[in-house]
Amino acid sequence: MQNIPITGVYFHYYTNGYSESVNMLEVENYIKKIPGVIILGNSDEFPPIDKQFFISKIKELKIEQLVIAGYSPGIIKTFFSSAMHEAGLNPKNVLIASFNEYGAIKESDTDLAKTILHFTIAGLSLGDIYTYSEKPVNETTLVIGGGIAGIQASLEIANSKHKVYLLERTGTIGGHMATFDKTFPTLDCAACILTPKMVEVGQHPYIDLLTYSEVLDVKGEPGDFKVKVKKKAKYVDMANCIGCGICSEKCPAKTPSEFDAGTTLRKAIYIPFPQAVPNKYLIDAENCIYLDNGKCGVCKKVCPADAIRFDQVDKEVELNVGNIVVATGFKPFDANRADNFGYGKFPNVLTSLEFERLVNASGPTEGNITLRTKDKKGNPVFTKESKSPESVALIHCIGSRDMTFNRYCSKVCCMYSLKLAHLVKEKLPDAEVLEFYIDMRAYGKGYEEFYERIKEEGVHVIRGRTAKIDQANDKLLLRSEDIENNNLIEKQVDMVVLSVGLEPGNDSVSLSDMLGINTDNDGWFIEVSSNINPTNTMESGITLAGVCQGPKDIPDTVAHASAAAAKVIQNIVQQKSKKTISKIALSEIEETINNVSHHNSK
Amino acid sequence: MSYRVNPEFKHELAQFGISKEWNECFHCGNCSAICPLTEQGFLFPRNGIRAMQMGLKEKLATHVDPWLCYYCGECSETCPREANPGELMMTLRRYLTSVYDWTGLSKKFYTSKWWEFGFIILIALLVIVAFMVFLPLKSGAAAMVNASGGVMINSLVEGISAERFIKIIEYGDWSMAVLVAAFLMSNIAHMFYKVILADKSVRVPFTTYFTEFWRLIYNFATQAKFSKCDDKKYWVGHLLLMTGYSIMFAVIVVLLPLFQTEEIVPWYNWQRLLGYYATIGILFFLVIVTIGRIKKTDIKLKYSHPSDWLFIIMLGLTTITGILVHIFRLNGLVAATYYMYVLHLAVLVPMILVEVPFSKWSHLAYRPFAIYFSKLKKAAVKKEVYQREFTPAIQNI
Repeated sequence: MQNIPITGVYFHYYTNGYSESVNMLEVENYIKKIPGVIILGNSDEFPPIDKQFFISKIKELKIEQLVIAGYSPGIIKTFFSSAMHEAGLNPKNVLIASFNEYGAIKESDTDLAKTILHFTIAGLSLGDIYTYSEKPVNETTLVIGGGIAGIQASLEIANSKHKVYLLERTGTIGGHMATFDKTFPTLDCAACILTPKMVEVGQHPYIDLLTYSEVLDVKGEPGDFKVKVKKKAKYVDMANCIGCGICSEKCPAKTPSEFDAGTTLRKAIYIPFPQAVPNKYLIDAENCIYLDNGKCGVCKKVCPADAIRFDQVDKEVELNVGNIVVATGFKPFDANRADNFGYGKFPNVLTSLEFERLVNASGPTEGNITLRTKDKKGNPVFTKESKSPESVALIHCIGSRDMTFNRYCSKVCCMYSLKLAHLVKEKLPDAEVLEFYIDMRAYGKGYEEFYERIKEEGVHVIRGRTAKIDQANDKLLLRSEDIENNNLIEKQVDMVVLSVGLEPGNDSVSLSDMLGINTDNDGWFIEVSSNINPTNTMESGITLAGVCQGPKDIPDTVAHASAAAAKVIQNIVQQKSKKTISKIALSEIEETINNVSHHNSK
Repeated sequence: MSYRVNPEFKHELAQFGISKEWNECFHCGNCSAICPLTEQGFLFPRNGIRAMQMGLKEKLATHVDPWLCYYCGECSETCPREANPGELMMTLRRYLTSVYDWTGLSKKFYTSKWWEFGFIILIALLVIVAFMVFLPLKSGAAAMVNASGGVMINSLVEGISAERFIKIIEYGDWSMAVLVAAFLMSNIAHMFYKVILADKSVRVPFTTYFTEFWRLIYNFATQAKFSKCDDKKYWVGHLLLMTGYSIMFAVIVVLLPLFQTEEIVPWYNWQRLLGYYATIGILFFLVIVTIGRIKKTDIKLKYSHPSDWLFIIMLGLTTITGILVHIFRLNGLVAATYYMYVLHLAVLVPMILVEVPFSKWSHLAYRPFAIYFSKLKKAAVKKEVYQREFTPAIQNI
């Protein structure tokens, strides 16, 4: 360790948007003990403003190299480089110890932060201690989440002849994309391009489908994970069920359909949607009368294949896998939270997902856009017979770009709203369609052209965030500013569609704890580098695919999932997996540093 | 019309406010749309934020919008950027007061609390000194108690009869009123120039000045615009304050000899009933606002500028000293009545001289005039539209 030059360490306290921070004081105390290291201060005491102060300190303490430590401290490097230069030293001797870049984000990562800083001071690259596990990498992969990202990743891996477990929480794979009517900007039928892939997954010899299952626990190390999975009881014998649907027809218990975003009702024994994979019925225990009080059992009586098994119980299985792909997707923003828009109060204020089902040919009205009315019991329902709206307003940025809810842009809403506007115009050419946006984000191939096309179709695209919606007679009264024309818009419309944003799933926090990966302030999983490594996590062997890493549209999700699969295949083929640095003991690291620096000094 | 862009303007404006988050605004238009008071042609607060960010001083001076806002706070509560547009409107009102004020005192008072405090203390001392030197307490004043045991308030000064004393106070009131009116009216003339004459985009039809004039009186008397805000509590409180304050002002300036009588009239007489109404109205307002400003839960009262506190303190002291004068009089406490009377005037006079023309109280004139001017502008725009749409355009040949 004799070869460490006199090093000044400066701590950059700004946490870069993470909610937690490593214990900077502990890092400081640890690093102080290394001979030759002098603490220059931190950004709270001495913010990088007064350059003369630092120049005089560098000269006074005879500093030879300077290390800036903290969260992405690169942003203040220029300041110190020029300070070094003005102090008559080589500005190249300013080094960066970026904690977050190597996964030191939470307080529990303090030891890792020490490692990173120690390495930087010793002038070593962290790559020098990236050690590879000696164990062979298990060729089996677990993909968590059966949406388009999970499907794509599974197919990519399975097509290279490696076994995949595809785990899905609901009764079918397909995810959100299966519920969409069309995709933008090509206006492909979403189901038509997704269902063949779903079937391919279902029939693939290398894919084991685990639907209606949840991850309970993850143990082991990269290349050799042991994952405990709960397979929830479906109360239907998958081998026997022939998918005839008689049980569902006779079942007396009804509940809102998850697939149709609550716009229709399904039975307690159900198939999520006609093209579901696997195409077998299952019983939802929460709504089943028999499982509640033992007083029904109609399905068992009518089943021609004798497939109903009320005595089934949840099963726990352990999977041995070498890599894990996280593809858990998102949940739509709950429009009830934004109460100015009257969602839940006025029946014809819909979320975009409800509207997506309404325009879909397999939706509640067979694709007719009609107003929600009340049935005999007073429950709001969609029927084919009710009136079509004469005017529809689409409001962007519900729950996105809003400090009260989510600060970020959900990325997809502008484009899907334009698509929905097109679908209204397509089905109801005489309807007036108004689209209220804050900023139109039509990025990407063919997107701007799509926006222009929508405007030409006669959709009124208005810059201004609608502030509130009230009921006026039978209609909905919206109030918005038309910023471009300096007008106030007070307009009565028949239907309002709220373009809700994307949010991380409810259990992404518990999953991140199980897997040992991090989430950012908004709850999305953190990648190694959003620019050059958007799929890997700090934990080797665990990759991210799709929206769970941050909002994405379908093309981006598919590309991201394929990239994640490439990382997995790389690990399997190389038969090497890196040890996660955070799991290496500090003493072991010190030894490595000593060895390496000793080696260097010879 | 072209306007000069001045990016430094926001720093100048920041001196008038507490919260400085306006630059967060990304112009979504939520504030203008959620506001129950906006209408076509008067779309605030976003327009004001735009002008502020661009530093369009000349354009801002033509805006009446800030005066049309009564700060219910809904825009700030629902702002997706937490840019606090409501507080910007408040800050713009302070700024515009300084724009209209040709003396420059208003700017000094708003941007430096020591100027405002200093002026108030100076005037208060002048009042006290004037009393001590020219109108001292009579040595044998202990006898100045009337048959019912109340203090004969006009006969407490050495060598001056009750008739002369009340005349002196009345002349004092009148000169104060004239001074205040002179400043206010000249500032309103200045405002009229900035808002209507200097705004080349409107030409107000002459008859409109008369046909719309009733709005000035109507809005002053009823605060009708305020009542359109969703939370009616503040409208009621404000109406009580406004009527109470106006009654007291009218009583001391116009009807002082009938109000400040030697005999204490029975409680059911108009003088005392009006006085009680005004006291209760002002106190009610003061209690609500003081609690609100301390608790800071309501966004409307979250940000308190020194001038807001001074407004409450001066009005509170005036009210409390006034009540004490009344109590001391009723109980025949001669010396206490005299000194409290002096103290009452030492608070009241600087409050009116400093705050009414130059500081927070000035909104009592600017607001109704702004509503009047807004209607003038609106009528001008209507006529323009009428001409554009209904007079045949000259054909291009």
